[in-house]
Amino acid sequence: MLCDNCKERPASVIFTQEGMGGSSERHLCEKCAFQTQMFHFDPSQEPLSIQQFLSHWFSGSESIQPFQQSRDSMPDGPTCPDCKLTFRKFLDIGKFGCPTCYDTFRGQLPRVFSKLHNGHTTHVGKIPDSFNERFALKKKVEEIRSKMQEAIEMERFEDAAALRDEANALKERLAECGNGGEGSDVD
Amino acid sequence: MEVKAAMSINKFMKGAVTGWMTSHGEHSDIVMSTRIRLARNLRGFRFPIAFTADEAEKVDSQVSAALLTSGEKGYAYMKMAELPGLERQVLVEKHLVSPQLTDVKRHGAVILSEDETLSIMLNEEDHIRIQCIYPGFQLENAYEHADSVDNYLENKLPYAFDEDFGYLTSCPSNTGTGMRASVMMHLPALTITKQIERIIPAIARLGMIVRGSYGEGSEAPGNIYQVSNQTTLGKPEKEILADLKNVALRLIAHERRSREILLSKSRVALENKLFRSLGIISYARLLPSGEAARCLSDVRLGIDLGIIEDVDMSILNELMIFMQPGFLQQYAGADLTAEERDIFRADLFRERLRSEQQINENNKEN
Repeated sequence: MLCDNCKERPASVIFTQEGMGGSSERHLCEKCAFQTQMFHFDPSQEPLSIQQFLSHWFSGSESIQPFQQSRDSMPDGPTCPDCKLTFRKFLDIGKFGCPTCYDTFRGQLPRVFSKLHNGHTTHVGKIPDSFNERFALKKKVEEIRSKMQEAIEMERFEDAAALRDEANALKERLAECGNGGEGSDVD
Repeated sequence: MEVKAAMSINKFMKGAVTGWMTSHGEHSDIVMSTRIRLARNLRGFRFPIAFTADEAEKVDSQVSAALLTSGEKGYAYMKMAELPGLERQVLVEKHLVSPQLTDVKRHGAVILSEDETLSIMLNEEDHIRIQCIYPGFQLENAYEHADSVDNYLENKLPYAFDEDFGYLTSCPSNTGTGMRASVMMHLPALTITKQIERIIPAIARLGMIVRGSYGEGSEAPGNIYQVSNQTTLGKPEKEILADLKNVALRLIAHERRSREILLSKSRVALENKLFRSLGIISYARLLPSGEAARCLSDVRLGIDLGIIEDVDMSILNELMIFMQPGFLQQYAGADLTAEERDIFRADLFRERLRSEQQINENNKEN
């Protein structure tokens, strides 16, 4: 689709404008969007805080409108077992209470993150070394265990015992990584 | 009441100037400082918003033990609840800790490197906030520094990290890289010509945010703006830094062009404005903070354009910090009312400019 404005470059931005007669949508190229944006800036418009932003969650519409009524009948959603935060409360305060909240609300989070992070929902970037190592160790333990099962089924009990010892040694290392404190041989 | 300064301005400043307040680094005529902040949390503990005093204590002792035994010399550890109020305020005014950390009902602490380019806040909104501030435009250097501290810590302590969501943080707006990169920019020409009002929303479209130097929704005293990345999820650190760098470079180019246009189109009016401001900070006896910030910005622009000579460009960086209430009261060695602060601010500025003159005269004699 070509840009509605210059009719030259391909449209890459949808530009929604709220007017007296409702909202209108225009498909613009980056250059025209930039210019249009420049001339339609209203400095009195403050950016939304996270709380304001998330509290529009159950309003049912993407646009910003009063949401008080719908909030009262809003369900609590899942409750975090570690810090007792409900999903509703999370939207209210705009903060997670603990790392476990991420597991508890996992199903709902892509939508939250998509809004906050320009459509992105998964992490790309740095991964802690310790996590990489844990991850690798876990995989290795699983691998050894399935080999051990195989050995048992084949009645190769000596092999199975050796594999069991190997798995136990790795599990010990995994536990050390988990503590991460002194005595860990992560380096 | 008459309050006399507790010490000479030179001695006071010597003890108070922090690495990032000097005017060094690339584009330091426009970019005042660069900051990288990484938010991290420990696995197995609730976030500060929900944790118990006992958990807070454990987080504090584990992180501080890891850092203080790192072999890195000159780390200073400070518990907020044990610091006098004025010292806490001064740390905030130097941007070394956030206002939120200094709430003594909470369990905040900070670890500072000797040159104060590195500050690690404990139990702020997240368990760990690694922050590096460098003078001028130094995104890569500041990131490398913060990253190396992060690497050290992650090998000592188990971080809360998730395969899908990355580094887990208390606020969903930090999830992912946990990184906020920002550059503090002095943009007087874009402000005078009102172009900044049109540039800010354009930058927002690029996933960046521009605001006054004192955080969200604040005006821009001294025409100083903070430009930072808005999103932390879905883009690797290097890309976020490259995007921010690009935006900042464009702003720098715009600002330079506007300065040239101002000079060529209205030189006399501009000179008049800038010299009047120099006059005010050189002679005023009462100097409210808004006026002080405006005049400092003018004087700094005058220095950058070669209109005002014999004043060092670090004057803006330093006095913007020292004119704040905490610093003024530390300088005075007493609690001050608002009016007394205005008097003291005027004294401080005059003295600072006088010490500038003395240095210049000495230089000429040599």
